[in-house]
Amino acid sequence: MRSRLEPRSACLAAPWIAVLLGCEPSPSVAPDLPPETIEIPPSDLLPKEAFAGIGDPVVRSAAQFLEATRVLLHPRCLNCHPAGDTPLQGDFGFVHEPPVVRGPEDRGVVGMTCDGCHQDDNVPLANVPGAPNWHLAPISMAWVGKSPAEICEQLKDPLRNGGKSLAEIVEHAESDELVAWGWAPGRGRSKAPGDQKRFGDLLRAWVEDGATCPTDGEHP
Amino acid sequence: MSLRIKVNGVLHDLEVDPEMPLLWVLRDVLGLTGTKYGCGQALCGACSVHLDGRVIRSCVTPVRRAEGRAITTIEGLSATGDHPLQRAWIELAVPQCGYCQAGQIMAAAALLAENPEPTDDDIDRSMAGNLCRCGTYTRIRTAIKRAAKPSAPTEGSP
Amino acid sequence: MLEHLHRRSFLASFGLAASGLALGIVPRNAHGGAAEWQPSVFIHIAQTSLVTLVCHRSEMGQGIRSSLAHLLADELGANIDQVKLLQADGDPVYGDQNTDGSSSIRKRYTELRRLAAAVRVLLTQAAAKTLRVSAKSLTVADGIVSHPASGRSLPFGELIDAARKLHPIDPAKAELLPRSALRYIGAPALRSLDAPAYVTGAAIYGADVRPSGLWIAVIARPPVVGSTVRTYDDTKALAVPGVRAVVRMPDPQPPYAFKPWGGIAILADNTWAALRGRDALILEWSSSVHDTYDSTAFRSTLREAAQKPGTVRRTRGDLEAALAQADKVFEREYYVPHLPHVPMEPPTATAIYREGRVEIWASTQNPQAVQKAVAELLGIHAAAVTVHVTFLGGGFGRKSKADFATEAAYLAKHTGSPVRVQWTREDDIQHDYYNTVSYQHLTAGLDMDGRVTAWRHRTVFPPIRSVFDASANMPSPSDLQQGLLDLALDVEHIRVETGAAPAHVRIGWLRSVYNIFHAFATNVFIDELAAETGADPVATLLGVIGPPRILSLEDLGIGALGNYGASLEEHPVDAGRLRAVVERCAELCRWTRQRKRGRALGIAAHRSFLAYVAVVIALQQREGRIHIDEAWVVVDAGLIVNPDQARAQMEGALVFGLSHALFGGVTFREGRAEQSNFHDLRLLRIGDAPRRVHIELVESEAPPAGIGEPGVPPVAPALSNAYFAMTGVRLREFPMAKAFGFDR
Repeated sequence: MRSRLEPRSACLAAPWIAVLLGCEPSPSVAPDLPPETIEIPPSDLLPKEAFAGIGDPVVRSAAQFLEATRVLLHPRCLNCHPAGDTPLQGDFGFVHEPPVVRGPEDRGVVGMTCDGCHQDDNVPLANVPGAPNWHLAPISMAWVGKSPAEICEQLKDPLRNGGKSLAEIVEHAESDELVAWGWAPGRGRSKAPGDQKRFGDLLRAWVEDGATCPTDGEHP
Repeated sequence: MSLRIKVNGVLHDLEVDPEMPLLWVLRDVLGLTGTKYGCGQALCGACSVHLDGRVIRSCVTPVRRAEGRAITTIEGLSATGDHPLQRAWIELAVPQCGYCQAGQIMAAAALLAENPEPTDDDIDRSMAGNLCRCGTYTRIRTAIKRAAKPSAPTEGSP
Repeated sequence: MLEHLHRRSFLASFGLAASGLALGIVPRNAHGGAAEWQPSVFIHIAQTSLVTLVCHRSEMGQGIRSSLAHLLADELGANIDQVKLLQADGDPVYGDQNTDGSSSIRKRYTELRRLAAAVRVLLTQAAAKTLRVSAKSLTVADGIVSHPASGRSLPFGELIDAARKLHPIDPAKAELLPRSALRYIGAPALRSLDAPAYVTGAAIYGADVRPSGLWIAVIARPPVVGSTVRTYDDTKALAVPGVRAVVRMPDPQPPYAFKPWGGIAILADNTWAALRGRDALILEWSSSVHDTYDSTAFRSTLREAAQKPGTVRRTRGDLEAALAQADKVFEREYYVPHLPHVPMEPPTATAIYREGRVEIWASTQNPQAVQKAVAELLGIHAAAVTVHVTFLGGGFGRKSKADFATEAAYLAKHTGSPVRVQWTREDDIQHDYYNTVSYQHLTAGLDMDGRVTAWRHRTVFPPIRSVFDASANMPSPSDLQQGLLDLALDVEHIRVETGAAPAHVRIGWLRSVYNIFHAFATNVFIDELAAETGADPVATLLGVIGPPRILSLEDLGIGALGNYGASLEEHPVDAGRLRAVVERCAELCRWTRQRKRGRALGIAAHRSFLAYVAVVIALQQREGRIHIDEAWVVVDAGLIVNPDQARAQMEGALVFGLSHALFGGVTFREGRAEQSNFHDLRLLRIGDAPRRVHIELVESEAPPAGIGEPGVPPVAPALSNAYFAMTGVRLREFPMAKAFGFDR
């Protein structure tokens, strides 16, 4: 779990961090620190700028993707990318209650379809989250139990990513309404880190830098 | 805000908050009290109705979602009250307190409409959202099978 | 003479269509005039021969309306298809209307039959007079009195004028029809008279009554018992469209009884606005002495008390000496948390206050208690409170408490509007009159042959009496009759002790009440003794129950026994009947053979509400979960009026008991209930309920015993015992979910 640094030292880390933390303007020359040494709250996401200091695009690309997996592996996303036939709930991977199953089109079965309960928006006063097109990611897009390296390969594989090009993946991440829900999940639910813009930017940068994958065993 | 919805074949022009859950529109505004409140969180199924033939939990469905579509409640399932499920429910004395049964029947009706010969597993999955505190599950199961195949003998008690 | 508002004018002025009330309420003293004869408050006969039967007990799924109607119709000689059913208002003229304690049939069976018999006799006498024949030459069937010899007959309707002129008959002297002449009582499949209303949505429950001008109230309730509103800001609440008023409820003082539960009420034109209004309230609550109520800590408190000597409530022989001499001493402890009722219909009541009188529609199990509680709250006469009983969407004991009706009455008076108080599911789970929390410590002394020579049972739980007497912290004898004092034990040295435990929440009675945890402890303990001694559980159970015999008070080791309000002559503690259900259940499930084949079976048996029930549960492992595969229930409840309903009650009790055992109940932290809806207070769903259930009712002519509750107590211990058979692991408390493969 990342923890907050002393504000003053953090303010010195890079100009963008100073802005983030609302610090006093920093001295004009501040060393660019490697992203892996920067610590931020778990609810936040490093922006792509934090990786500008990595010279090698292959390394930079993978590092940006690794950061983006902090979103992909967050419960808000993971819960609907299960490895089995039931979605999960909450922040501890509990099985969805009431019991529901994937169904032939990832949208549940008769009587228990996703949209039988889930609306196009979070329901006020009820604990039911909602967004347009609420449904399970196909089993080929299961992320539960996968490493960032495995997810990266999966995401790039047109046979497993719904036939999308890399550009389409980025567009999906940037603008899809169901994806957007991860940052506006309703009362009592933790949000995915950062925001959709920052997440989309990271993936766009990942693609622009060559869409390289992190190595096995690397974790954000 | 003015909204037009069709319930059991009848059009209604309503002046309601478009976010008002359909359950309260049905019960408080239209006086159709057959659909019940059990939890308000889509966890118990007592509020189940059909939206264009598909099961929805009306306690969390904003009424605006019903605009331009057809709602069917238990009162509208059959004009004469003798849908095969209703007949089977009566024959087998399924209801105890009866409170959950409108929701049970609406869910079962959607199941049979799509799957005329459901297996036990099908029943488990499609009826999972409908709680019964009185515990009438064995009779619900038998009644669904009887409604599906009225002439065949059914297993299970009683 | 009681004054009352005539039903028709009330309904007309408040826009209620008489036909919309599927129950058809009958007020007191509604004289049908010459066109109807009312020889009894329960039986009315019209000139048209329509027979109206009045049900004085609440319908909450136990089928009492159908059962009582069939009982009366049978003895009367009417055909059930000609019968109209009316639901009685609250009125002492009907006798006790508290639908509780599995008592509706067993307490009134003979009396009601005699009432109907008396009416039949009068009709026969009237026919005899009219036809100028002897009464003996007449037969009665299907609402017609016939003279077979001449072929003449008269329907009931044509006899009422003559009948009402006859000298009334003392029902106690009316001769009942012989068993062979009965066609409804005991028949295997009596028609459920209300089923058509249930399956079409026509049945009227508590929240379905809609007087015009109705306001719906949702109340923000004290999160901790004893806390009151310190400050509140209702500006945002009042700004919600549809909200009409905000009213502070009176703060309840202990003893809480059935008083309104405090808090702030939001009243609105519709339920949605009321819910939104409540959500928009800004509230600050005061502290309370119960702020520290913590289930984990309280469990330790109860445990400590259960490990110390307590007040002796049952004693036989010399327990201390027997334990000292025992070859082996075996001790175990059992814990059951607070259990909530969670009827599918959360509590709700509708009230109209006008000129010092109140009219209430409530899904109540006890309309007379509502009359009394409302009268007391408003300072009026109980007779000024009219209580109509709607269908109940489940009761289980929650709705014998009049609190939700007193809330409606209070708000109706305060606002001048008709008011419905709607409890949400969260309210229901967090502000229940919970079944109490208990800790039990059992000790057995075994001799060299594994026979139980000494039995000590310590039980500690906050008693129900605490809601009526704030200082009450010890069980009463009527509490202990449930599975402690009436437990048949073939043990020479017995002692039952109780410890003190204060209540920190409202405690109430819940379907089979104290039997739930007493039967759990005793049946699991006996199963543990079997495992300990390497004996078969059925053999051990039968050995502990002992030979067939009637147990006297002396045998039991007690001075008196409440016996559920029945005499011991009529309903003795009969070890033979308990043995019989155990043996039959073991036979039905092919206990020995199945266990040899490796099937995981668990058995438990219990006497409660005068009935004897044995349950066997079979488990099966499948896909990472342990499933409840099959269940057998054998019931000896004496003469059963409505066998199919009795089966339904046992099927339902099985699911009810499984829900509690698997998913537990409500826990408290910092005084607050931790659960709030069905995501964290789970109930069994259809996929987890056993698919194969076998219910057998013992044929008996013994006096009717209870049906609604006795099916519950043996379920949890049978489940635990089956789990042990499968895994060798013993489950001694609820919830058991994780052990069965649920993730929480």
